[in-house]
Amino acid sequence: MEQLGIEPTLLLAQIINFSIIVFVLTRLLYKPILGILEKRKKEIEESLARAEKLKREEEKFKQKGEKLLDEARREGRKILEEAKKQGKLAEKEIIAEAHNEASDIVKKGKTEVVRMEEEMEKGVRQQAVTLAIAMAKRLLTAVLSEKDQHRVISEQLKELEKVVE
Amino acid sequence: MPHISLAAEKIGILFGFPISNSLLTTWLVMGILALFSLLATRNLSLVPSPIQSVAELVVGGLYSFFSGVAGKSHIRLFFPLIASLFLFIIIANWFGLLPGVGTVGFFRHEEFVPILRGATADLNTTLALAVTAVVAIQYFGFKTVGSHYTMRFVNLKNPISFFLGILEIISEVSKIVSFAFRLFGNIFAGEVLLTVIAFLVPFIVPLPFLMLEIFVGFIQALVFSMLTAVFLNVAVSHGGGESHG
Repeated sequence: MEQLGIEPTLLLAQIINFSIIVFVLTRLLYKPILGILEKRKKEIEESLARAEKLKREEEKFKQKGEKLLDEARREGRKILEEAKKQGKLAEKEIIAEAHNEASDIVKKGKTEVVRMEEEMEKGVRQQAVTLAIAMAKRLLTAVLSEKDQHRVISEQLKELEKVVE
Repeated sequence: MPHISLAAEKIGILFGFPISNSLLTTWLVMGILALFSLLATRNLSLVPSPIQSVAELVVGGLYSFFSGVAGKSHIRLFFPLIASLFLFIIIANWFGLLPGVGTVGFFRHEEFVPILRGATADLNTTLALAVTAVVAIQYFGFKTVGSHYTMRFVNLKNPISFFLGILEIISEVSKIVSFAFRLFGNIFAGEVLLTVIAFLVPFIVPLPFLMLEIFVGFIQALVFSMLTAVFLNVAVSHGGGESHG
């Protein structure tokens, strides 16, 4: 033992030294480093999970947006078609109304024309009667006596009245 | 002739306590390790500083390596011991290769006394490591398996088990010896080899041997810590295997 250099005091000192090393390195090196490694691992896992989640959400939103867009497009087309249909319907109605009105106007015009014709005829007849009376008066004064005149006139008037009616 | 001494030389005596040159080196190595740890973990952050990433590389690498050797279930318990063994041995081994270690010294009674000597080139150090490792193995075995762990050494069930127990005791003692002498022998032999080669051909030729010694220093640290891990694994799984069997 002597020749190998083994001495109990030195041996004990080295055992204590190594124990100190274990203690110090555990406190100063292993615990903090392993802790931070674990922390980083967790952090990375969490961020990866978060990224995955965000990606999935984004995709969902994209799909949703596309769906919405599709729906909007379809609705727009529907509205347009309805508007066209309504327009056509309105057109037809307006045309029909116009036709009606036109025929009404025509009808009214026709009746008016008939009425005016009648009136004119009446007037013409009356005028013809007065004209005839005046002519007869002049002719009769030259030919007939007063008495005959009265008789003829009244006879003629009676006849004329029949015609006028 | 170059100076070669199997035992570490004493530099002096402090308060009646002998101070050997390898003890001095041990303190230096301890200082280096502590300083490195302090610097590496001073400002811990998720985005590591260069020295922190070195520490992460070393500690994380050792952790994953030894969890493969010692099993994932107990590595948290074992890691401080195994990693400290590895780090201390490798730094001590490499420190012994630095220029000036073993060559700078003084003469006392016509005898050369180097101020520094590789810490692991002293049997006191390696024996201390071996004793600590083997005691720790028994401690962890007892702690995880319970009182059942003593059955490994003292088993009165049948003569065969009793005899096996005696063999186990011998094997534990021989572990101390083999641990201590393997490390000491390799490192001391390396230093002697380097001294002799440097004495014969001072330039160029020692270089390959120096490289070899760097490699040996790493391998010895690895062997020491890995064997400890394996023995620890055996110790904590011993009682389990017994009760199942």
